[in-house]
Parts: sequence; structure tokens; C-alpha cells
Amino acid sequence: MIIETLLAVTGLAALVTFLVPDEYAGRAAAVFSVLPLLGSLLLWARFNGAGNALVDGDVAFESAAPWMTLGGYKVQWFVGLDGVSLPLVVLTTVLTTLAIISAWSAIDERQSQFYALILFMETTLLGVFTALDFLLWFVFWEAVLVPMYFLIGVWGGPRRKYAAIKFFVYTNIASLAMFIAFVALVLAAPVETFSLPAVAAALRGEQIAGFLGLTPDLLRTVAFVAMFVGFGVKVPIVPFHTWLPDAHVEAPSPVSVLLAGVLLKMGTYALLRYNFTMLPETAAALAVPIAAVAVVSVLYGAMLALAQEDLKRIVAYSSVSSMGYVILGLIAYTLYGVGGATFQMVAHGLISGLMFMSVGVIYHATHTRMVGDMSGMADRMPVTTGILVAGAFGYMGLPLMAGFAGEFFVFVGSFGSTTLPFAPIFTAVAMFGIVVVAGYLLLAMQKTLFGPFRLDTDYEVHGAPLRDTAPLAVLLLCIVALGVAPDLFFGMIKDAVGPILQGGGL
Amino acid sequence: MAAFDFAPLIVLLPFTSFFVAVAAAIWRPNILPKGGALPGIAATAGSLLVSLWVAVEVLGGGRTAETVYVWSTGVGDAPELVFSLLLDPLSALMLLIVSLVATLVHVFSLGYMNDEDETGLPRYYAGLGLFTASMLGFVVAGNLLMAFIFFELVGLCSYLLIGFWFREAGPPSAAKKAFLVTRFGDYFFLVGVAGVFATFGSAAFAGPESFPAVAEAALTGEASVRTFGFGTQTWFSVLGFLILGGVVGKSAQYPLHTWLPDAMEGPTPVSALIHAATMVAAGVYLIARIYGFYALLPTVLAAIALVGGFTALFAATMGLVKREIKQVLAYSTISQYGYMMLGLGAGGYVAATFHLMTHAFFKALLFLGAGSVIIAMHHNEDMWDMGGLRKRMPVTYVTFLAGSLALAGIVPFAGFWSKDEVLYEALVHGLGGSPILLAAYGMGLVAVLFTGFYTFRMVLLTFHGDPRTELARNPHGVGWNVKAPLVVLGVLATTAGFLNMVPVHELLGFPPEYLHDWLAHDGGRSAFAGLTSEHYGELLHDWAGYSTVELSAILPGLVSLGLALLGAGGAYALYAGDDPEEHTEKLGAAKTVLYNNYYQDEYQVWLTDSVVKPLSRTMDTFDQGVVDGTVNTVSSVSLFSGRRLRRIQTGVVSNYAVLLTLGLTALVLVVGVLGGWFA
Amino acid sequence: MAVPPSYYLLLSAALFCIGVAGVLTRRNALLFLMSIELMLNAANVNFVYFSQFWGNVTGQTFSLFVIALAAAEVAIGIGIILVLYRNFDGVDVTEATTMRW
Repeated sequence: MIIETLLAVTGLAALVTFLVPDEYAGRAAAVFSVLPLLGSLLLWARFNGAGNALVDGDVAFESAAPWMTLGGYKVQWFVGLDGVSLPLVVLTTVLTTLAIISAWSAIDERQSQFYALILFMETTLLGVFTALDFLLWFVFWEAVLVPMYFLIGVWGGPRRKYAAIKFFVYTNIASLAMFIAFVALVLAAPVETFSLPAVAAALRGEQIAGFLGLTPDLLRTVAFVAMFVGFGVKVPIVPFHTWLPDAHVEAPSPVSVLLAGVLLKMGTYALLRYNFTMLPETAAALAVPIAAVAVVSVLYGAMLALAQEDLKRIVAYSSVSSMGYVILGLIAYTLYGVGGATFQMVAHGLISGLMFMSVGVIYHATHTRMVGDMSGMADRMPVTTGILVAGAFGYMGLPLMAGFAGEFFVFVGSFGSTTLPFAPIFTAVAMFGIVVVAGYLLLAMQKTLFGPFRLDTDYEVHGAPLRDTAPLAVLLLCIVALGVAPDLFFGMIKDAVGPILQGGGL
Repeated sequence: MAAFDFAPLIVLLPFTSFFVAVAAAIWRPNILPKGGALPGIAATAGSLLVSLWVAVEVLGGGRTAETVYVWSTGVGDAPELVFSLLLDPLSALMLLIVSLVATLVHVFSLGYMNDEDETGLPRYYAGLGLFTASMLGFVVAGNLLMAFIFFELVGLCSYLLIGFWFREAGPPSAAKKAFLVTRFGDYFFLVGVAGVFATFGSAAFAGPESFPAVAEAALTGEASVRTFGFGTQTWFSVLGFLILGGVVGKSAQYPLHTWLPDAMEGPTPVSALIHAATMVAAGVYLIARIYGFYALLPTVLAAIALVGGFTALFAATMGLVKREIKQVLAYSTISQYGYMMLGLGAGGYVAATFHLMTHAFFKALLFLGAGSVIIAMHHNEDMWDMGGLRKRMPVTYVTFLAGSLALAGIVPFAGFWSKDEVLYEALVHGLGGSPILLAAYGMGLVAVLFTGFYTFRMVLLTFHGDPRTELARNPHGVGWNVKAPLVVLGVLATTAGFLNMVPVHELLGFPPEYLHDWLAHDGGRSAFAGLTSEHYGELLHDWAGYSTVELSAILPGLVSLGLALLGAGGAYALYAGDDPEEHTEKLGAAKTVLYNNYYQDEYQVWLTDSVVKPLSRTMDTFDQGVVDGTVNTVSSVSLFSGRRLRRIQTGVVSNYAVLLTLGLTALVLVVGVLGGWFA
Repeated sequence: MAVPPSYYLLLSAALFCIGVAGVLTRRNALLFLMSIELMLNAANVNFVYFSQFWGNVTGQTFSLFVIALAAAEVAIGIGIILVLYRNFDGVDVTEATTMRW
């Protein structure tokens, strides 16, 4: 019942925050968000799962109850955690608490509604990562969009309506494709339930029927592609990425933190859970196009980031680039590849969260995010600059920070993959992203942070207060801790991804 | 074995000083006396002591390769990724060099930074501490992954320290360039590391499971590895070239040398540290560390030798015309590392290590000497504004002269012995059936001439003649904290060569070639037999086809000495006297080319500014126009059709009623027709 | 003397058609409402007749519901018409088009 309690407490916190007067809402929300944070740490401490939840693993904190029957198909309340989902749950709670604290400065109207929506979104995100029944999962998956839509559309920048609608409609249409594809698979498979482990067992077991005139193999392929695109929009992969920069630029910084830090991981998490766990043969057959998409995402995203002038757009495009590594790791189907991809989800969540947060601090002080509008910020905001530099190096994959661990695992795993033809070439080309990322981040830092102080918006700039820098420092500590001791999460991740692997390689 | 138990302290002590300085920088910038220098000095001195202890242990035959920390546990076939400590003669020697130079640089910084009232000192000492720790971590690294990790951290520290004066425009730009160019090299290194793991399943340096040992076994057919469809040796060569990419970047070899002269924007003690003992040395040390792998690959060795020889010559020519004292030293560094690469490529493992050691001493000395001059000149670095400092700064002059003699390769200073040995190895192996090495040897030999010239041009312009400016007439005095490191290094630059006097040994049979002996033996531990120069010699002979001809070391030694003297004499002829004139103009167009560094910077800048950036802007236009345009077009289709269709919604109730009625009628008709009512 | 069923149906159809014609041609909201009442009553006529025809009370019960519904509808309809009058100074339904697109 511990997961139910976690979800209920978070949802209740959202309700209560909604009723708190605006001036106390931020503090209240921060205190409330500590509860799910402690809860997730408790889950971590008492985690006793083994193996993959979808493939005969021991699911930790498993809890199931019948919900309804749809045309002979059993739908359950079914939640549980394994080594893949637990790190993402912890990531969600940590980032939510820090985003709420960082919002104290950034948000100055309708606070109680803002924080209530953030907490509501946390509830739904936790639901996404814990649900093990398709329909239940889908309810959470779609419900995430609602608070995010309002958070961008109400508290966003000048083009917030465009960005919010684009985000909502784009990801929603993608969900439709994915939903139809998955339901078709379930109807074709010999199961009478939407429980993910059961469906996974049936689909991996090579025994599905045709559907609507499609042969089983064709159905698998079509469904794989539809789900890949459906989840890929959320990731986002090139060419379905254009909603992301718009959403990031318009969203307030704390929302960007959650958008980049957690929401994108829903896409990669779902890819891992559905496409790569349930249809491994299809994935292997499509390895080359998938790897090509990954490589293009890495390099294309990085090159676009190089062309941007808005700090948030830079980080947004670099997220596209980083998510490319995740796809590459997944298609490698090796322990370090898939495990590294999962680790990279957490690492990128923390690092991009840090980047968006520190850009937000600078924006709050200068009222601009344009690279050309400022220089020499290090002179006025030394601590923020220090953390931003550290975060940027984390993004570039500096060793002993989480990003390096994730990327290195992916590279080692994908270089020798036997599933992916020409794996060394794909890997080597994708790795060139680490040079381009260093190029644009160093260039942006040189222009904005260093050199003589200059600010075109003529605001009086002081060092950021502790409440702004403290969340940054905490995130940085988390990043370094995971970089020095990746096995904090990587141990359970390796355990959880092992059963879905196939083929050879490291 | 006690010393080895304390060995992690060598890395951890400077690391602790980094933390102390960072904490101070954040909370109480003034809490530490001397801005954090003292913890740094204590930490590096502690590292030096432990390094000495380790060296004694190694001298007594001790060796170790132990895992100190499991970074990522292995599961099944997937390898365990670990931090391991490899202590053998090579790493023990390098530990001594690095910790000694780091200690002296810390002391010198008291004079260069503290006494000059610089701000941000805790940040400076934090950087130095992390720099030292990273390099020491790199030196003791027992596998390729750990080496890469610290290799990158070294790059980070160079970024932080070169960009120390961040309020000016130049240093941040130079810092960016240093990191970016070395990152470009590190990219290849990282691909190589991934490739080594994928190929061998292990990246350890020592032991029977180590990748050089497995590679050797694979070549003899005793082991099988994945070679991804290539021939075994071809694939190993590919890996070798990939790792070489990182070396070329960090050790500033052509064509990735361009970051190093710019790096002079950093404080001078940092330059000393970067050039002598850390960063730049890391590249060459890496090749020496995995020499058992490179010795199997003749193609890669030839490339290393050629790159090294070419860089030695190429950089030396650029050093001929520079005006700033630190620029001359920067190009001399590139050139000298070229010699080390030449030595490694030519099969002279001991010679290259020897040169790495002597160069560390004399280049640290020269940079610290230059720093002393720069203090005296109130941070003016132009040699044409100096002159006559000899009488006003005797300690600096004498020690700087010792360093210069070593750099130029004049007997009996340290640089002579090591450079001579490098060239000798290239010559004997070249004559012994690897003619390509002779080309590298030739370039190295010509570079000796230029080295002698630019070195003494620098000495003469700085210290001799009459003072050319008011600043040079009344230089700022320097304190003990500047002089003491100079004296220590001056002694070493003079005497370090005696460790390995090959020609003298040949002539007299005495004294022993200490360094050869130091690197040759495994101390009776067969697990380390693969890391000895004896073993490397066998590998070179068996796999690279290197064989030597019987050739006296004396004649080649005399030739290079003669060339060095000739160069020095040329400089004396042109620049001696009370009021030397600039002869560089006589070079005409060549001067412009040299002064602009063969336009190497220009083409790299052109590549980023005129190729990469426009490309990225074009891609951005494409992204906004085509990719996002498609998305917006799709949405505009639905918006457009919505705008049309909503016309039906007139708002007039009567129209809705008409539609309802017509709809009902149509429905009834359809049902009727289908139901056969009218049949 | 029994009236043939077709008479009832014809009456009902005629009422309904009058109602429809009223809805389609009238612009006065009050006449609109009355026309709708006519259509409902056309249905009621059918209900009542067939209730008698089959000899049970289901149809009559249902017509009571329809009458109640019609009353509620009139209440709301009159309310709407009042608002219409207030906002548009008249009860012409073709005038009130501000809520369209």
C-alpha cells in the first residue's frame, strides 16, 4: 500500500495547497513536497525488487486490485516498482521539491494554483512510473498533460498560448497513435488483461494473431513504429522535437525544470517499457533506422543548439541531443547500453534541471536570457556562475559527474553491440556530440558569464539569495554523487534491464 | 608494502586542499592565511613525501596494481569498471616529478599571486589543488577508463586556471579554446576507450588480463578478440590511432597544438604547471603507460614519430620570431613534446621518459624564471622592453640560464642527455630497417638548431644588453618564495641528466645508466613483466620490426651538440651587444607566416566561424522553416478547415431547425429506402 | 363507434407538421416556443391513443412526463426569451447571433 499512500499524499497535498492563501502557498507546497520525497527515499531504502517488473521479475511494493472489465479484458489497479522505475520516481520527487523552492522567486501571481498544479503533476508523474496496467498507466500518462498545459499557458511568457496548445495537441495526437497501436497488440495477443507483465509475456512469446488483415509480423512492425513515434514525440526525437524549444522558452523556469527533467523521461521510459521490452525482435529488425534516428537527434540537436541565442533554447536543443544517446543505448540491447540509457535518463534529468534552474536565476536577476544582452555575469553572481559552470561541464560529460557515467555506459554498451549492425560507426558518430556540446556551452558561457560586466537591460544585479542557490547546490551534489558512485542507481538498473537483453556485447 | 597503502593519499591530499579552498571561497574568502596557499603547499608537499616513499618501495622491487574503488560492478560478460592504482617505476617517477613541480609552483605562487595582491586567491589555489590531484590521479591510473577520467579533469582544471582572470576578455576565450581543442582530441580517445572495452573486455594496464597483454596474445593467436571485421593488427592500429587522438590534443602536437600558445593568458605559475608536469605531459605519459600496446603497431609508431618530429621542427620555427617571453616558451614546449613523441615512436621508450623528466624540470624552471621576470617587469612580457636584467636579478638570471642551456641541449645540462638519446634512438632504429624514422630524425635534428637559436635569443634579449625601457631599469624585486623554487629547479635542470648519460657510459663504462635500469626490471614480479622496457624492446623487435644497428652514441651526440651550439652562436651573433636590433624583418614574407603561426589558428577559426556556425544557422533555418513549418502547416490545415466549417454555425436558431428537419427527413428516407418501404 | 387509428395518426402528423412549419418560418421566439409545444403535443396525442389502443396506461404515463417536461421547458424558454429581449430589444431569434464563431 505504500505506493498508494505516496500517490494519495501527493494528490492531497495538491488539494490542500490549492486552498492555501497565495502568500503561504510556496512554503506550504515545499513542505508538502517533502513528504513524497521522503516517501520515495523510503521506497529506495526498502527496495527489495529483483529483475524486470515486466519480465518475470520480483516487483517491489506490488499492489493490485480489480478495477473493471472491458469487453472481457480485465483492467486492474496495478502498481509496483523495479530497478528501472524506482530511480525515476526518486528523480521526480527530488526535482519537484527543488523546482518548488526555485519557484519562490520566479512565480509572483496565482501562487496557490501554481503550486497545486505542480503537486498534481507530481502525482500523475509518479503514477506513470509506478503503474503496471496499461489503462491505469494511460490515465496517468494523459493526466500529466493537463497541469503542464496550464502551467505553460497561464504562467508562461509572451507566446504561452501557442506553446501550450502546441505541446498539448502534439503530444496528445502522438498518444493516440500509441494507444491504438498498443490496443491492437493486446487484442491480437492471447491475453484477457491489460496488465503489462501479462501482455509483455504474451508478446515476447511469439504467439500473437493477426489483426484487421495484418499478419502478426506486420502488426508488430506497424505497432512498433506507431508506438515509437508516439513515445518519440515526448522524448523528443528528431523530427518530432519542435514543440520542445517553444514550450521551454515560454514556460517559467521551475516548469522547464520539470518538463526537461521528468516529462521527457516519460517518453524514454515508455520506449523502454513498451517497444524495447515487448517487441525485441521487431526492434532488432529496425535497429539501423532507429540508430540513425538516435544519431541524427544527437548531432542535429547539438548543431541547432549552437545556432541559438536564447539560453533556454540552447538547453532545450541540447536536451534533444542528450535524449539521442538514450535511444542509441536502448537499441544497443546490451547491459551497458540499455542500463546506461536508463541511467542517462536520471542523469540528464538532474543536469538539465540544474541548467534550467540556474538560467532561471540569471533571468530573474537580469530579465533577459539572450546571450548577446549580457556579459561578465560572474562578476556579480559568483556562486550562481560557479554552479552554472559546474552544471555545464556536467552537461558536457565531465567525468565524475552523472552525465559522464550515463554517456560512457551508453558508449561502451553500444560500441560492441551485436544487435545493431555497424555499431562502432553509429557510436563513434553519435559521440561527436560531446565535442559540439562543449562548443556551444563554452561559447555561451564565455559570452554571458565572463569578460567585462555588461548588461543591456540595465537592471541592478546582485548575487542570488540563498533560497535560489540552495536548490542548485543540492542538485549539483546529487549529480556529483551519482557520477562518483553510479552504482547507487546503476546497480538496480543493471539488475532490472538484464532480463530484456538479447544478443551479445557488453 | 606500507608505502603502497598510503599511496591513495598522493591523490587525496591535493584533492582535500581543493575542497578546503572551495569551501573558503564560498563562505569566508579571508579565513585562510595566504588565500589558501598554505593548505595547498602542505598537501602537495605531503604528496611529494609519500611519492618519495613509494619510489623507495619501488626501488626495492615493490610493484602493485590494485583496485581501490569499484565504480560500476560487472554483471555477466559486462566488465567491472574500477579505479585502480598502478605503482611501478614509470608511475613512481612521474609521481615524483608532478608532486615536486606542483609543490614548487605552489610556493612560487606566493610570490606571483599573493605578493601581487591578486583577488580570488582561494579560487586560484582550489584550481591548482584540483589540477595537481587530477594529474596525480592520472599518473597512478591502472586502467584506461580511470586514465580518461582524470585526463578530462585535467582539461577542466586547465579551463578554470587559464580563465582565471575572467573579467578580461582574453583569458576566457583562451580557456574555451584550450578545453575545446583538447576535447576534440579526447573525443577520439573516448571512442578508443569504448573500443578497447568492446574489443578486450578490459582496459587494465597491468597483468595478464590487461589489454596490451591480450592484444599481444591475440596477435600470436593465443587469444581471440572481437575485431569488428578488420584484420587483428589493423583493428588494433585503429584503436591505437584513436587513443593517439587524445594524446595529440593534450600534448599539443600538430595539428591540435593551437590551444597551447593561447593558454599563456593564464597566470604564469599555471603555465609552468601545465607545460612541465601536468596537462601537456599527460598525453606523452599515456603513450608511455600503454607502450606495450603501441609497440605492437608499427604503423601507429611511425605516425607518432613523424608527428613528433614534424611538431618539433614546426613549433621551433614559430618560436624564432616571437616577441613575448612566454610565447617563446610556449612554442618550445610544443617542440620539446614533439621530441618525446619522436622518441616514443622511434622505439625509445626510456629516452622519451627521460626527456619527459628533464623537460619537466627545465621547463618548469624556465616558466618560473619568466614569471620572476614578469613580476619584475610589472607584468610586461615583451622581450623588446627588457634587456640588462642580468645584473638586477642575478638568481633569476643564473637559474634561467641553466634552464636555457638544458633546453638548447648544451652539454652537460639535463636536456642534452635526454634529447640526444631521443635522437640517437631514432637514428639507430631508422638505420636498422625503418627508414621512415630517418625522416623524423632529420626533422628533429634541424629543430635542434632552431632550438638553440630561439633559446639564446630569448636569454640575450631578456637579460643582456642595456635596459631598453624604464621598467627594465628599475625592476620590481622578487622574494625568497620566487627564488627558492628557481634554485631547486636550477640544480635539477643542471644535474638530472646525469641519471642516464648514454655516451659517457659507452665511453667509460661508468656511471651506470640509472634510468635504464630503473625502467627495465619487473622487480621479480612476473605480473609486471609486461610493463618493463626490456619487454617493450622485445615487442618492438618482434612486432614493429625495429632493429638496431651497432652505432656509437658519441658521434650523433656531437652532431646535435654542434647544431645546438651553432644555433646559440647564431643568436649571439645577431642579438648580443648592448642594443640589439630586430632582425626578424629581414625574413620578409617568412616572418609574417611565422609570426602568424603558419595561419594554423586562422584556418581553425575559419572552420568554426565560416563553416560550422553558418551550417548551424542554416540548420536552424531549416528546422524553423521546414520541420516546424510542417508541424505548423498541419495545424493550419485544421485551423483553416475549422474556419470554413464553422460558417454552418450561423447562430440563427431557424437555420439549425432547418438542418434538423432536413437531417431527420434524410434519415427517414435512407432508412426507408434501405428498409424497402418504397419497394 | 370506434374512430379508425389512421385518424389519430393523421391528427398527430398534422399537428407535428404545423409545429415544424412554425419553427421553420417564424422569427418570433414566443411563436417558436409555441410551435415546439405543438410538436410535443403531437407526440402526446399518439401516446394517449396507443395507450387506449393497447389497453394499458404506459403511454398515458409517458404523456404526463412529456407535459411535465414541456412545462419545465417553457419555464427555461421564457427565461431565455426574457434575456433575449433584454439584450437585443426584441424577441427575433435571427437577431441573436453574437455567440457564433
